[in-house]
Amino acid sequence: MDTLANVAHGFGVALMPINLLYCFIGVFIGTLVGVLPGIGPISAMSLLLPVTLSGTPESGIIMMAGIYYGSMYGGSTTSILVNIPGEAASVVTCIDGHQMAKQGRAGPALGIAAFGSFIAGTFALVALMLVAPKLASIAIAFGPAEYFSLMVLGLVVLTFLTQGSMAKALLMACIGVVLGLVGLDSITAQPRLTFGRMELIDGIGLVPVVMGLFGVAEVLLNTEQVIRRDIINTKITHLLPNRADWQASAGPLTRGTMLGFLLGILPGGGAVISSFASYALEKRLSKTPERFGNGAIEGVAGPEAANNAAAGGAFIPLMTLGIPPNVVMALLLGAFVIHGLQPGPLLITQNPGLFWGIVASMYIGNVMLLVLNLPMIGMWVQLLKLPYNVLFPLIILFTILGVYCSSNNVFDVYVMIAFGVVGYFMRKLGYEPAPLVLAFVLGPMLENNLRKSLILSHGDLWTFVQRPISAACLALALALLIAPLLPALRKKRELVALDEEA
Amino acid sequence: MRSGGNAKPRLNNSELWGGLIGLALGGFVIWSGLKLKLGTINDPGSGYVLFYTGILMCVFATAIIVAAIAEGGPTLASRWENARWTKPALIIACLIAFSLALEPLGFLLSSIPLMLLLLRLIDPVRWSLAIPIAVLVPLGMWWVLKRLLLIQLPSGAFGIG
Repeated sequence: MDTLANVAHGFGVALMPINLLYCFIGVFIGTLVGVLPGIGPISAMSLLLPVTLSGTPESGIIMMAGIYYGSMYGGSTTSILVNIPGEAASVVTCIDGHQMAKQGRAGPALGIAAFGSFIAGTFALVALMLVAPKLASIAIAFGPAEYFSLMVLGLVVLTFLTQGSMAKALLMACIGVVLGLVGLDSITAQPRLTFGRMELIDGIGLVPVVMGLFGVAEVLLNTEQVIRRDIINTKITHLLPNRADWQASAGPLTRGTMLGFLLGILPGGGAVISSFASYALEKRLSKTPERFGNGAIEGVAGPEAANNAAAGGAFIPLMTLGIPPNVVMALLLGAFVIHGLQPGPLLITQNPGLFWGIVASMYIGNVMLLVLNLPMIGMWVQLLKLPYNVLFPLIILFTILGVYCSSNNVFDVYVMIAFGVVGYFMRKLGYEPAPLVLAFVLGPMLENNLRKSLILSHGDLWTFVQRPISAACLALALALLIAPLLPALRKKRELVALDEEA
Repeated sequence: MRSGGNAKPRLNNSELWGGLIGLALGGFVIWSGLKLKLGTINDPGSGYVLFYTGILMCVFATAIIVAAIAEGGPTLASRWENARWTKPALIIACLIAFSLALEPLGFLLSSIPLMLLLLRLIDPVRWSLAIPIAVLVPLGMWWVLKRLLLIQLPSGAFGIG
C-alpha cells in the first residue's frame, strides 16, 4: 500500500510540466547520442551536467537519467542499420542486428530492440521500486568499514572488467583517488596537492575532468580515423515483429532482463557486460547456435533487454548506498552533489519526492522512448548522415562552454583541455579512463571512510575482516585481483572485458 | 598488442614508458604524502591515504614495467600507425592557443577563430559553410548565455562579449 502511495506521489512529481520537458529532453538527447557513433552517454551527460544547475534537483536528475537509458535505446539503431555501435552496450547488437537488416529484416530487428528495451526497462523499474527501499533500510546499518570495502570492491570489479592490462586499470584507479584528494583535507583542513593555486583549494571539478577525458579526448581519437558508414538504404517497414519473432524472442527477453538487472546492481558491472553475457547465454542455450551471427533475432532481443535492465538496476546501489556502480552513475552522483544532495540510505525517507519522482519519470521516459524510436525511426536514420567534420568542432565548443558555465572559472577550461590531451594519450597507450573517473568520485569517500574506520577501531585493521559484509567484499575483491594471474581465468576476463570507448 | 616473444628491452617500447611515467607519478605521490604528515594508524593524517596510494601506484607501475621488459610491447610509433595523427596534433595546438587567448581576448574573439580552424582542419568544410558556422554558433551561444541565462563569458582586454 505504501509503495502504491509512493508511486502515486512520484507520478505527481514526474508529471509536472517542467519535469516532463526535462524527461523528454533527456531521452531525446540520449537517443541522439546513442544513434551517433563516437559520442556515448558519458560524454553527453558530462556535457549537460552544468545544465542541471539551472533547474530543480528533480528536473536535472530526471534529465541525466533519461540520457542514460535513452542512449541504450538509441544505440541499437546504429548497430542494426550501420553496423557501428552507437555506444558500448550495443556492440553485440551489431552481430545479428545488422545481418537481419542486410536480409531485409531491419524493421523487426529495430522493433524487437525497442520492445525488448521497453519491457526490460519497465521490469527494472518495478524491481527498483521494490528492492531499493528494502536495501536502503538494511544499508542504514552500514558503518564506515562496510562502505570502504564496498567501494574497494566496486573499483576492483571495474578494473577487472576494463579492457587490457589490469595493472594499468589499477594504476588509473590510484591516479583517480589521488586526483579526488586534491584540495582541502575534510578532517584537518590542510591543503593537499594544490601547488599554491587558489583554484585548487576546492579540489578539481568533476565536470572538467570528465568532459576532458570523455568529450575532448573522444573527439581527438575520432579525428584520427575516417569514419565510414554503410547505412542500410532500403525503406524500413514492418517494425512490429511477427508471431514467430515474438515466440523466438520471449525466452531471450525474459532471461536478458533478469541477467541484466542482476549484473546492473553489482558494483563495476553494468549495461555492457550484461549485453555480452546475455548473448553468450542465448547462444549456449540455443538448439541452433549456428544461426547466431547470421541474423538470429534472439541475438538482438536478449542483449537489448539485458542492457536496458542493467541501466535500471545500476540505480539501486547509487540510490540506496550512495555508491555509484559505474562511471555513468558516478556522473549522476555528481549531479546529486551539485544540488547539495547525498544519495544513500536516507535519500528515500528524506527526499521521497525526489526518489519516487525519478522512478516515475523513468516509466514515462520509457514510453517516450518507444514513441521516439519506432514511429520516428526515419528521422534518426537521416541524422546518421550528419557530417562529423561539423559535429566535432561543435562538440568542442559546447564542452568549453559547458565547463565554463559550471563554475564561471576559466581555470576549469584549462583543466578540461589538459585532461583532454592527457586522456587522448592515455587511450593511445591503452589506459582506460573509466577506472580513473570512478576512483576520482569515490576517492574522497574512500579516504573518509577508511580514516573513520581506523579512528573508531583505534587503528585495528581487523575491523575490516571482523564485519561480515566488509569481509565478504574484501574477499571478493582479493579473488578478482588474483584471478588474472590464473591463465584460465585470464582468458575468461579477456572475453568479457569492456571497451568503454566503443 | 604484444610484439611477440622479443624479450630484449627496447627504449621505444610504449609500455615501458607508460610504466615509467606511472612510477614517477607514484614517487611524487609518496613524497607528497610524506610532506603532508602520515599521522598514526589510530589517527591517520592528511598524507596517510596519499602515501599508501603512491605505494600502490609504484607497485602497479613496476608490474607494467616488468611485463614490458619480459614480454615486449608495441613501439610508440606503432600506436599511431595507420592513424591520421596530424589531425589530433593540430586540434591540440588549436586548443592550447585558444586557452592562451581566452582571457586576454575574451570568448568571442578567441572562439570564432578556434571554430574556423577546427572546421577547416579536421576534414575541411567548404569556406562558404565554415565561415557562417564559425561566426554564428559562438555568437548564438554567447547571446543565449548572456541574455537568457545571464552568464557572463570572459570579455577580454577589449571588452567584447
